[in-house]
Amino acid sequence: MAAYRRKRGVSSELATPNKKAKLGQNEKDVAGEQYTIPAPVSEGKWKNKERVLIFSSRGINFRTRHLMQDLRKLMPHSKADTKMDRKDKLFVVNEVCEMKNCNKCIYFEAKKKQDLYMWVSNAPGGPSAKFLVQNIHTLAELKMTGNCLKGSRPLLSFDPAFDRDPYLALLKELFIQIFGTPRYHPKSQPFVDHVFTFSVADKRIWFRNYQIIEEDASLVEIGPRFVMNLIKIFQGSFGGPTLYENPHYMSPNMHRRMLRLATAAKVKERQQVRELQKLKKSENKEIISTDPAEGVFDTPAEEKPVKIETEPPLPKPRIKRKDKQFKRQRMAKKRV
Amino acid sequence: MSDHDEESMAESETDSEIDPSELTDKELQEAFSQGKLKPGLNVVLEGKPIASNDVNGLKQSLLNFKKDLDWLERLDVTTAPVPDKTGQNGVEGTQNSDINAEDDFQREMCFYRQAQAAVLFALPRLQQFKISTKRPDDYFAEMAKTDHHMQKVRQKLQAKQQAMEKSEKAKQLRALRNYGKKVQVEVLQKRQKEKSNMMNQIKKYQKGLSDKLDFLEGDQPQKKMSGAPGKKKGPSAKRKYKDQKFGFGGRKKGSKRNTKESFNDVSGFKASVAHGKGPHRPGSKGRKNANKRPGKKVRQKIKNKGR
Repeated sequence: MAAYRRKRGVSSELATPNKKAKLGQNEKDVAGEQYTIPAPVSEGKWKNKERVLIFSSRGINFRTRHLMQDLRKLMPHSKADTKMDRKDKLFVVNEVCEMKNCNKCIYFEAKKKQDLYMWVSNAPGGPSAKFLVQNIHTLAELKMTGNCLKGSRPLLSFDPAFDRDPYLALLKELFIQIFGTPRYHPKSQPFVDHVFTFSVADKRIWFRNYQIIEEDASLVEIGPRFVMNLIKIFQGSFGGPTLYENPHYMSPNMHRRMLRLATAAKVKERQQVRELQKLKKSENKEIISTDPAEGVFDTPAEEKPVKIETEPPLPKPRIKRKDKQFKRQRMAKKRV
Repeated sequence: MSDHDEESMAESETDSEIDPSELTDKELQEAFSQGKLKPGLNVVLEGKPIASNDVNGLKQSLLNFKKDLDWLERLDVTTAPVPDKTGQNGVEGTQNSDINAEDDFQREMCFYRQAQAAVLFALPRLQQFKISTKRPDDYFAEMAKTDHHMQKVRQKLQAKQQAMEKSEKAKQLRALRNYGKKVQVEVLQKRQKEKSNMMNQIKKYQKGLSDKLDFLEGDQPQKKMSGAPGKKKGPSAKRKYKDQKFGFGGRKKGSKRNTKESFNDVSGFKASVAHGKGPHRPGSKGRKNANKRPGKKVRQKIKNKGR
C-alpha cells in the first residue's frame, strides 16, 4: 500500500514539470511570433561596410550607460562589447575592434566616476580624437518629444566652421564615417527621418538629434544631446603622434581645483576682513578708555548743607480755575 | 641661481674646458665683476607650452582615411543656419561660433535653425533620388522610443498644460478675491460712518441742542428700501461655507473618511508652506510669541517674590 502511494506521488511529481515545460515552450513560441519584426526589404546592394564598435571602460555611471545604449539604438551599424578593464592599455581597443570586425570605434572612458572621455577612432590606421563629454541628456528624458524609426538613416548636418579649420575638417570626415548609417544596411530602414546636428559653439562641438516632421522643415528634438570638448587628435588609432591639441581645453581636475581655490580665497578674505574689524574695534575702545581730556570740564559740585526733614511737606493747595468750563459747554459755545 | 649657472656655462666653455657643474660661486662673482653677467640675459619661460597644431599632418591624415562615396551614402550637409525670421535673437544671421553659449534659448535656436537649413537643403535632393522621408501609414516598424515611453511624454505634456491652466485660474481668483476685500472694507467703513453720524445726532438731541428727529427716519427707509426688493436673503457666506464643509442634509456617515483618491491627492501640498514653514494662520498663535506668558510655577514664584 505504502509503496503504491509512493509510486503515485513520484509519478505525479514527474508529470507536472513536463506539463510546465510544454506550456513554457508554447508561450515562448507565441512571444517570439509576436515580437519578431521582419527586416526591411532592401532593393540595393550594401556597399559601405562600415561597422562601429561602441563600448566603454568599467566604472561608467548610469547616464553614460544610457547614452551608450541610445547611440547603439540609433546606429544600426554599431556593435557592442563587454566593458574594458581600466587596467588594460588603450591600444588593446584596436585588437578588440579587429576581433569584432569593426573599423570604427567609439570608446567611452570614465574617470573618477564623474568625468567622461570619449575616444572616436578609425580603428587600425587612425586618426583618433579624444573628447571630454559634458552635459549629457539621454533619449529617455521626457522633455524630448520627438521619435524616429529604429535604424533609419540620419542626415548629418555640420556647422560651416567644420570647413574652416583643418582639424575640424578631419573631425567632420570622422563623424560622417562613424555616425552615418550605410545605405542598404540590413538592419536599417529605407527612410530618412532624423538629423544629427554637429555645431561648434563656445569652442566645443554640440551634438543634437532632431526628428523631421514636415516637409517644411519643422523639427522636434529626439535626443540624446551632449557636448564634446576636444582634447587631442592623434595620428594613430588610440595613440601615435599628436596632430592637434586644443589650447582652450582645461581638464576637469584643473577646473575643480580652480573652483576650490576661488572659494578658499573668498573665505580667507572674509576671515581677514573680520579680523581687521575686530582689531579696529579693540583699538577704538582703548582710545576711549584713556582719554586724557575727559575730566577737563568736570566741576566739583557745591556741597549742600545736610538737612533732614522730619515733617511731611504741606499738601499743595488745589486751585480751581473759575474761567474753565466743562468741555461740553465749551463745545456748545464753539458751535454757536 | 640655476639660470645664472647655465648662462655662465655657455660662456666659460668657450675659453676653458670646465664642467659647468663645477662652477663655484666665486667664479660667478668674478665673472660678474668683469661685467660678463648682466641682468636680462636670462629669461624665465612663462606660460603654457604652445599647443601643437600640425596642419600638414592633419591634411595628410584626412587624405589617408577619406572615403570617396556618393552623397547618398554619406548624407552629410554643411550649411549655415537659416536666417532668423522671427527676429527673436535681435542679431540677424548670427554664426554659430559667436553665439552666446550661456544663453540656452539662443543657443538651442541656433542649432535648430542649422538643422532646419540642412533639412531644407537635403529634402529636395532626397526626393530627386527617390528616398522617402516619411514612411507610409501602413508601414509598421520598431521606433527608437517605445510606445510606452511616448505615452509618458504625452502625459507629461498634458500635465504641464493643465498646471498652466490651473495657475492661470488661481491668479484670476486671487485678483477677484482682492477686489472683493476692497469692496467689503469700503462697505464697513461706510456703515461705521453712518453709525457715528447717527450717534452724534442722538447726543445732540439728548442735550437739547436740536429738536429734530428726522434723522431717525432718514436712514431707516433707505435700509428698508434696500431690503424690500429682495424676497428672502439666502444664508450668509459663512453659513454657506459651513454647510459645504460639514454637510447640509443627506447622509453624513463616512463622508469625512479618507478614500484612495483623497489619500493619493497631494495637490494641496506645498513645500513652501508644509511643516510650519509658511506664514501662520491668523487664528493660531504665532510661533515666536506663542509662549510669552511664563509657566504657572514661574508665575507663582514671581508673585511670592513681590510679597
